[in-house]
Amino acid sequence: MPVKNEFDVIVIGGGITGAGTARDCAMRGLKVLLIERNDIATGATGRNHGLLHSGARYAVKDSESAEECIRENKILREIASNCVEDTGGLFITLPEDEESGYGLDYQSKFLEACTKAGIEARAISPKEAIEMEPSVNPALIGAVVVPDGSVDPFRLCAANVTDAAMHGAKVLVYTEFLDFLREGDTILGVKVLDTRTGQKAEYRAPVTVNAAGIWGHGVAEKAGVHIGMYPAKGALLVFGHRVNNVVINRCRKSADGDILVPGDSVTVIGTTSTKVPFEECDHMEVTPDEVRLLLREGCALCPALADTRILRAYAGVRPLVADDSDPTGRSISRGIVCLDHETRDGLKGFVSITGGKLMTYRLMAELATDTVCRKLGVNKTCNTAHTPLPGSMDGRIETVSKRFEGGATAGQKGAAGRQGDLVGKIRFESEEDRKLICECENVTLAEIKYAVRELGVRNLGDLRRRTRVGMGTCQGTFCIRKAAKALAEALGQPELADKLAADYLDERWKGMRAVGWGDTLREMEFMQRVYKSGKPYSYDEV
Amino acid sequence: MKFDVIVIGGGLAGMTAAEALQSAGLKCAVIAEGLSLHNAPRNAFRAAGGTLLAGDRVTGGDFDGDRLVRVHTEKLGDVALEAGAFVLATGKYFSKGIVADMDKVYEPLFGLDVEYDADRSGWFDPSFAAPQRFLEFGVKAEDGRALKDGKPLANVYPAGEVLAGICGAQGDATETIRKSGLDAADAIRRAR
Repeated sequence: MPVKNEFDVIVIGGGITGAGTARDCAMRGLKVLLIERNDIATGATGRNHGLLHSGARYAVKDSESAEECIRENKILREIASNCVEDTGGLFITLPEDEESGYGLDYQSKFLEACTKAGIEARAISPKEAIEMEPSVNPALIGAVVVPDGSVDPFRLCAANVTDAAMHGAKVLVYTEFLDFLREGDTILGVKVLDTRTGQKAEYRAPVTVNAAGIWGHGVAEKAGVHIGMYPAKGALLVFGHRVNNVVINRCRKSADGDILVPGDSVTVIGTTSTKVPFEECDHMEVTPDEVRLLLREGCALCPALADTRILRAYAGVRPLVADDSDPTGRSISRGIVCLDHETRDGLKGFVSITGGKLMTYRLMAELATDTVCRKLGVNKTCNTAHTPLPGSMDGRIETVSKRFEGGATAGQKGAAGRQGDLVGKIRFESEEDRKLICECENVTLAEIKYAVRELGVRNLGDLRRRTRVGMGTCQGTFCIRKAAKALAEALGQPELADKLAADYLDERWKGMRAVGWGDTLREMEFMQRVYKSGKPYSYDEV
Repeated sequence: MKFDVIVIGGGLAGMTAAEALQSAGLKCAVIAEGLSLHNAPRNAFRAAGGTLLAGDRVTGGDFDGDRLVRVHTEKLGDVALEAGAFVLATGKYFSKGIVADMDKVYEPLFGLDVEYDADRSGWFDPSFAAPQRFLEFGVKAEDGRALKDGKPLANVYPAGEVLAGICGAQGDATETIRKSGLDAADAIRRAR
């Protein structure tokens, strides 16, 4: 049964932290194994705003986080240009904020704190704010411009995984961590299960890194060490089109539903923060109360949301960590927590990297990799802050699109936007290849074939995370049968098409059920009608 | 303008009812907001001399006790359309025959009684392929007449998918929908 494999370091978790750590370790010359029990970016990495924080949100209360954010913000714009959109951001003050103590006096304090943290922030008049972002609540009494942006977390995670692999890392998705191999006080490696084949295997390395987000709590328990984690659920809503072009934040103490982020073809409002039991982390459902709250606060930022169709709701779990020095576990840090369990718990060969945020993943990876290198006696410096990720090495869509003879089609431009300079690997060989499968997001058959060939895609969820297929305004209503057929054929298993489509529809249905009224419910009826009324639609017809 | 019967909605149920009534010698008008895909009954209805107000939308109506007297439309403005009887064939959520908000499901034109589960938790089955409860919701009727505030109206006959229990989104319901159009036409003729 056991397959023996030796590595320098094993990273558990294919979210952004694990992906970044695998990349950093591989770039420093280590032999890396990355294991992930689902697909990459399926936990909190893929379930957040996709906000490229300027750090302004933390400036007043937590200057350290603010400084980290703005530094990483500038780095990501350089190394992940293909994943980042420079939308700019606004922090607005509303009349009612005066009464709650967050009026224009607070705005001055906020501006000062931003400047101190190195965040370029300037106050503008309400009129200027409305000109900059016409969807903003026109009742605003003040606004501050900050260098916020949006970031595609799926793309960012995939780029890190791709680069890790290009530097020799072995990446195993759908591979679940079962237990540690240990001898006395030393972790020697991991036992894993391939969830698709049911086959078990063992992998060995002198250091194992726990980068499993909120699930890292359970991973640490298996090692017999305790990390006081605090699972904080955050719910978000996606709206049916891009309502705003500039990130809109509320200029006050961080609260629920006070950030509105435009991302690709949609807009996202969030988030909430509720402590949830660990066993709920695998099955997040958004509650009606959360939706009500998000809508109320969202409409305060941008009144047009009241009449905009909600595409779906989703929730992620932040891996917050209670301060080690606080036995009650009440003092929660939002900062990065990097634990060498040898010095902390006397357990050799085991490191945990947790806490932090999407924004600071690269720094988290750097800290984790520094620790790994120290333990291995490797003396290599970190280069991830200066080395662009695959897809972001060669300029913007315009540059990449020029490679297509006779000008790029909509599908080729879409692919260039998503895959960046890797778009050259997509083979547009025939008329068929250029055919659009997903018309909301302009995804072609060629890009689907590429995703199967090069990006390890096995199901429509994987495909969605790599190409945005079915993510747009119709939520897959018109394309999923076609995409399922294309994917099944590219996988060489055409008989899988129905199963792939059914699984995908259940997943989309989950996000819609939470907001099943109004125009969303109309869309749900329509979706049922398309797939279930009478004669089965042929794949090409839908 | 006065008609014997006004049919609100130009889908399969509405057109089937309208054609049956017009062919039976009643003076009918159909107010159809969207595109009708049901060419055969529509052509037959027009051939029989029926009035089709395509691309217009009913905005509301005036009641005299339990009788709907006239309806107003978006395009006709102040000119109301009167009739002795009305067929309501406005469909389900997609065509806005019934409307769901966070807390309730309602019939938007006349505030008719709607059958639905007050507890939202049972509206959906997690499996997309399974039957979905929310698609069963719709206007309540008694002896073919729509209920309002628990009592049947004298002359409003719901037909097709606006009715509770009729839905074409979960399987082929063409015959059920057509039959409900014919039932509404029969009920109107019997009442005259």
